Amino acid sequence: MKLAALILITTSSLAAAVDFARDVRPILQQHCYSCHGEKKQKAGLRLDIKAAALKGGDKHSPDIISGKASDSPLIHFITTDDDDELMPPKGKLPASDIATLTTWINEGAPWPEGVDLAKLEDRRNHWSFKPLQVPSSPQSIDSFIDAKLAKKNLHLSPPADPISWLRRVTFDLTGLPPTPTEVSAFLQNKDHAAVIERLLKSERYGERWAQHWLDVVRYADTHGFEVNTERPNSWPYRDYVIRSFNNDTPYDRFIKEQIVGDAMGQDAATGFLVTASVLLPGQIGKDDASKRLARQDSIDEMVMNIGQTFLGLSIGCARCHDHKFDPITAKDYYAMQAFVAGVEYADRDLHTPAAEASRAEEKQLKSRLAEIDKELAHFVPMAKSGAERPMINPRENSDRFTPVKTQRLRFTIKTTTNLEPCIDELEVFNTRGENVALASTGTKRKSSGDIGVAERHELRFLTDGRYGNSRSWLSNTLGKGWVELEFPQEQQVERVVWSRDRDGKLTDRLATDYQIEISDAAGQWHTVADASDRQKFDPKNKKLAKPTLKGLTPAENKRARPLFEEKSRTEKQIAQAVNLQKVFAGTFRTPDDIHLLNRGDPEQPKETVTPAVLSALGNVTLPKESAEQDRRRALADWIASPQNTLTARVMVNRIWQGHFGTGLVQTPSDFGRMGMKPTHSELLDYLAAEFIRSGWSVKHMHRLILISETYGQSSQTQDLPQASASPANGNEIVNHKSKIINEGPLLDSDVRYLWRFPSRRLEAESIRDSILAVSGRLNLQMYGRGFNLFDQRGGLSGFDPIETFTPENQRRMIYSHKVRREPETVFGAFDCPDAGQSTARRIESTTPIQALNLFNSRFTLEQSKAFATRVQHEAGTDLNKQITLAYQLSLSRPPTATELTDTTPLVQSHGLTALCRALFNSNEFLFVP
Amino acid sequence: MSLPSEHLSPAGHALLDRRRFLSSSSTALGSIALTNLLGLDGLLAAQANGPIIDPARPYAPRQPHFPGKAKNVVVIFCAGAVSQLETWDYKPELIKWDDKPLPGGPAVTFQGPAGNLARPQYAFRQRGQTGKWVSDMIPHLAELTDDFAFVHSLTSKSNTHGPAENFLSTGFNLDGFPSLGAWTTYALGSENQDLPSYVAIPDPRGVPQNGANNWGPGFLPAAFQGTTMSSKAPVRHLAAPGVSPSTDQAARTLLQRMNARHLEAHPGDGKLAARIASYELAARMQLSVPEISDLSTEPAHILKLYGADDTQNAEKAAFAKNCILARRLIEKGVRFVQLFNGAYASGGKLNWDGHNALKEQYDVHAPILDQPAAALIRDLKSRGLLEDTLVVWCTEFGRMPFFQKGAKGRDHNPDGFTCWMTGAGVKPGSSCGETDELGQKAVKDIHPLYDFNATILHLLGLDHERLTFEHNGVQRRLTNVEGHVIKQMLA
Repeated sequence: MKLAALILITTSSLAAAVDFARDVRPILQQHCYSCHGEKKQKAGLRLDIKAAALKGGDKHSPDIISGKASDSPLIHFITTDDDDELMPPKGKLPASDIATLTTWINEGAPWPEGVDLAKLEDRRNHWSFKPLQVPSSPQSIDSFIDAKLAKKNLHLSPPADPISWLRRVTFDLTGLPPTPTEVSAFLQNKDHAAVIERLLKSERYGERWAQHWLDVVRYADTHGFEVNTERPNSWPYRDYVIRSFNNDTPYDRFIKEQIVGDAMGQDAATGFLVTASVLLPGQIGKDDASKRLARQDSIDEMVMNIGQTFLGLSIGCARCHDHKFDPITAKDYYAMQAFVAGVEYADRDLHTPAAEASRAEEKQLKSRLAEIDKELAHFVPMAKSGAERPMINPRENSDRFTPVKTQRLRFTIKTTTNLEPCIDELEVFNTRGENVALASTGTKRKSSGDIGVAERHELRFLTDGRYGNSRSWLSNTLGKGWVELEFPQEQQVERVVWSRDRDGKLTDRLATDYQIEISDAAGQWHTVADASDRQKFDPKNKKLAKPTLKGLTPAENKRARPLFEEKSRTEKQIAQAVNLQKVFAGTFRTPDDIHLLNRGDPEQPKETVTPAVLSALGNVTLPKESAEQDRRRALADWIASPQNTLTARVMVNRIWQGHFGTGLVQTPSDFGRMGMKPTHSELLDYLAAEFIRSGWSVKHMHRLILISETYGQSSQTQDLPQASASPANGNEIVNHKSKIINEGPLLDSDVRYLWRFPSRRLEAESIRDSILAVSGRLNLQMYGRGFNLFDQRGGLSGFDPIETFTPENQRRMIYSHKVRREPETVFGAFDCPDAGQSTARRIESTTPIQALNLFNSRFTLEQSKAFATRVQHEAGTDLNKQITLAYQLSLSRPPTATELTDTTPLVQSHGLTALCRALFNSNEFLFVP
Repeated sequence: MSLPSEHLSPAGHALLDRRRFLSSSSTALGSIALTNLLGLDGLLAAQANGPIIDPARPYAPRQPHFPGKAKNVVVIFCAGAVSQLETWDYKPELIKWDDKPLPGGPAVTFQGPAGNLARPQYAFRQRGQTGKWVSDMIPHLAELTDDFAFVHSLTSKSNTHGPAENFLSTGFNLDGFPSLGAWTTYALGSENQDLPSYVAIPDPRGVPQNGANNWGPGFLPAAFQGTTMSSKAPVRHLAAPGVSPSTDQAARTLLQRMNARHLEAHPGDGKLAARIASYELAARMQLSVPEISDLSTEPAHILKLYGADDTQNAEKAAFAKNCILARRLIEKGVRFVQLFNGAYASGGKLNWDGHNALKEQYDVHAPILDQPAAALIRDLKSRGLLEDTLVVWCTEFGRMPFFQKGAKGRDHNPDGFTCWMTGAGVKPGSSCGETDELGQKAVKDIHPLYDFNATILHLLGLDHERLTFEHNGVQRRLTNVEGHVIKQMLA
């Protein structure tokens, strides 16, 4: 109504046609550009450039509908009475302006070419999208660094003292301090190159550098999200990364293996694709929209991972709209999705010879276990014998009783842990050791009532001989239920075995009070076993559920004990064998059809999109019918090509960052237009070219960097001269080239130009590993399933840290079972990534919580004790020698005379442990010098 | 123990003064010089506009973007998704439609087939001056509604607890983004240097779904991570077990000497001074944290007000103690306290996830929440603390107007649910937004949770669009690229 009135006014009052530049643009300029112009494009709308303005914003495009002002969202927003929608938000435009805009649109929104004052930038015109610029004259790292410093009137600092250099390079390459022997050897020969080679050959190197990679790909051993359950087979990928660094796998191959390793004999490598958090099927809503969203989220994680890790681009930003800054369209984004649209987050069978051997071994072990169980069945404490029997557990419960003849047996559940009871299998053994409950023997069943879920929970699964929740019986009554078996003929029965989930995955719905009855010939029921003589149910105390020798006669005990031991051994061996057969590295199937999604919403699909690399950077496209593996291969080939302008640059920058704490590009996973430009672009390109030339050898890059003077210089900051306290004087100093003092602290306090070596605190893992190395407790066992930091391997109900220390959990921290989002109790506070999102560069923060953790934790106290014991053992009884060795082991140097003097009395009265605890907390120990 | 309690030791002061001098060269002054250098080189493509953090004093109070009404926040986070229909969103139509199918309703929702519509499981009545309809499930909180600002039209981006609790706490469905508390303390630091700036208090029954992600720092510095403590579990590592005070002091002395000497040999390294300062801050925390968790100084009438003396209901008493702890933290100037009510997935047994037996379970949960939470608000108010403290009550999504098929509970509903705020800067006795007449979907003034979080930041004097942190090429915000302050909730 209102609009119509306006149009009437406009047509009458505006005789001459509206001119865009004269009439329209000034209105837009004055009222709209501040939010929809060059600097900001709120809601994706830009009004200062014709092409962009006519295309429209993210939500209502097009905003200008030529000839139809009343349908144009732009007019709606400037005329609406809804304060939340009104544009500009500060208040309605004057009626004359509204009239002008309305008329202009009704007249066809004529917008002449070439009148725009702003120009759309060519987003492809960006340094990292251009080929490497390799200087023709021979160059070195130092020459690039020197040249830049000279321009800033700065210069390299003198070389670091040998001990600092050795500690620096040893921490850098291995994450551990040098040993006193290594220190003294180096002080004698000063052979830098030899040290570098020794460290690069050490397997500790891969353990250190793999951590950098795992940070980027946000590796963890749990699935994340609400349930955060264990992802038991992800560690082979972690081991693959360690091995790849140790073997110096060429980086182009390393990329390809992680994307399409299933075609290259490297199954574990594709763990890369599925490192993210993911919702398990049971956590996704049953409605289709929930399923579509979950799938989109899981594919999105893969695309983000590929983009950030290899290309240093935030491709994920284009999920909802064209990238705001980089030349990545939403269509590009979905075309990238199409490469991985056939990847599922799941375990895959490994087909290595080792995995096959494990399968054979598992089979053998299992048959032996069955024999043991059969024998052990005779030694389960008898029910109602007066002996206390083990606590009920979800996995397996055995009730033995005096053999009795019967044709019917009833199992009644009176209480559960929660909800309706569930039993996955009920077995009844006769005196010949046969399971007479099996449906296949003709035994019939009935129950108090069932919740039927087809092919999952059905009464027939109670006695089908197959274990696990997916074939189980579910009562229909909260906390209660019964099942009754009728054998085809009378049986002499003596034992019942039952379980909630023999696979050990589920622990809910467990019967905690029950009774087992048999019927005599007259139909009278007699209880043969119940829960009354079992240990009181306490799910936190798993020990109570362990099989026990209690209640056995000495003779039985003697026969049972070795069987018990063999059973426990065999179960561990089976678990190990099973672990070697699978890897959480994705499964591959026919790819989903990928659509361009309006605003990223799976419920608003637009046209189908086929696999294609980012259109601004390449022209690899695949037809819709391309096979799944071919898609990933094509993507991998494009990324791992020397022609890709990003791949080598991104990786050499990560390597540089690993050595200097900051990359030449300070935003290691953003080489796009919002990222920082390189401080030394020529050096970056030189390194990238050298990387490719060396056959993508990461170790070659280490050698180049570590031998340089830039790396070898001192980290010392000279004291500031008085004059530098104000910027004005600072400028003065810069102009006085004759001054000898280094102006670095003033000019470049963040050391981006490397006028000194930037010292930094050790990362969480290095602190823990180094403490263990110095205390002498570090267990160097490599690879395999992670050790536990918490009492749980994932799950819901909180994580209590394990604070008793064994050789197993005194391995390097990279071998810990990484619970996503759950910070390790002591070292998590040291900026240890939580594997939620990618961590391309760790922040170094300093907090009182760190101090509390490192000073007071059981870990530190215990390791301080071990360190003291080690020192006493190795140095003998002389206190001076002890203190000296403690310094040498932890700080790579003996104490000074003063240190020795003022340390001795305190050590005398409070013990060496106090000194060890202080050393582990000292800045000198914790900083890469 | 000769630990500094009120102030830093003279040595600490000397170091900090030195540090301040150095930091003036490495942050303020130095960054001017650096900015010049980098600016000349055209390196400043990404311009950070977050707060400047002094590494030696990460919890130092910092200025907001504009004067905020609230200085501190208590978030009462009800995990498991509280039904709006049994609490704050009165839908009399549902009584008429009780046990009838919803025409055109969905056949399948999150957990499975949908059943018939179900009336509110509690009686509603009008409360206070405003006459707000609130259910009898929460009689104590109901008495306070004249002070609340309700929003009835919130929506979430996920109908699954994990992603939805992430969304509520971090503004993103995915794992690993900074929590609201982390953003707040990153922006504002804290008014108390002797206590953690951000405390998360888990429910006595267990941690919420997604656990630490609800108080995680994401990619912000670890300094801004929530520290967990509760009336049951103190802060870890406050003291060295089995070490005598004199030996403890000996180790401290040795460490101080080592670090002082090392600093002398490495002048100008601000990180070293920051670490030294952190040990002094830690020493003060060692004294002040046990003090704050010691509720024995609370008078009997306070224990009674909160229900902490309830001998019949141990879980209520434990949650009440957590509420008292929250008040004590706020009293001492702790910036952000997150108080969890409800634990993890448990078939609705331990939290508000009433799928199967909603009434039966809410009869258990409501008394645990109601009196203690109401007492917290009353107590804050009577001490004048509500003047500059914002109290937020929230839950990750709502529940459906119909029961699940074959059950007596409601399924997940992210399309329209209620949260409220009270205290500093909040418009008392106000309600905004509406769901449809059955309470299924927000239909008027629809507010995605982004808006709710933007409003909390606004009340603290923070512009959610300007509070950013660069991570992997994106200037990240709590509100992603969305969010509008809900003006109707502001005083």
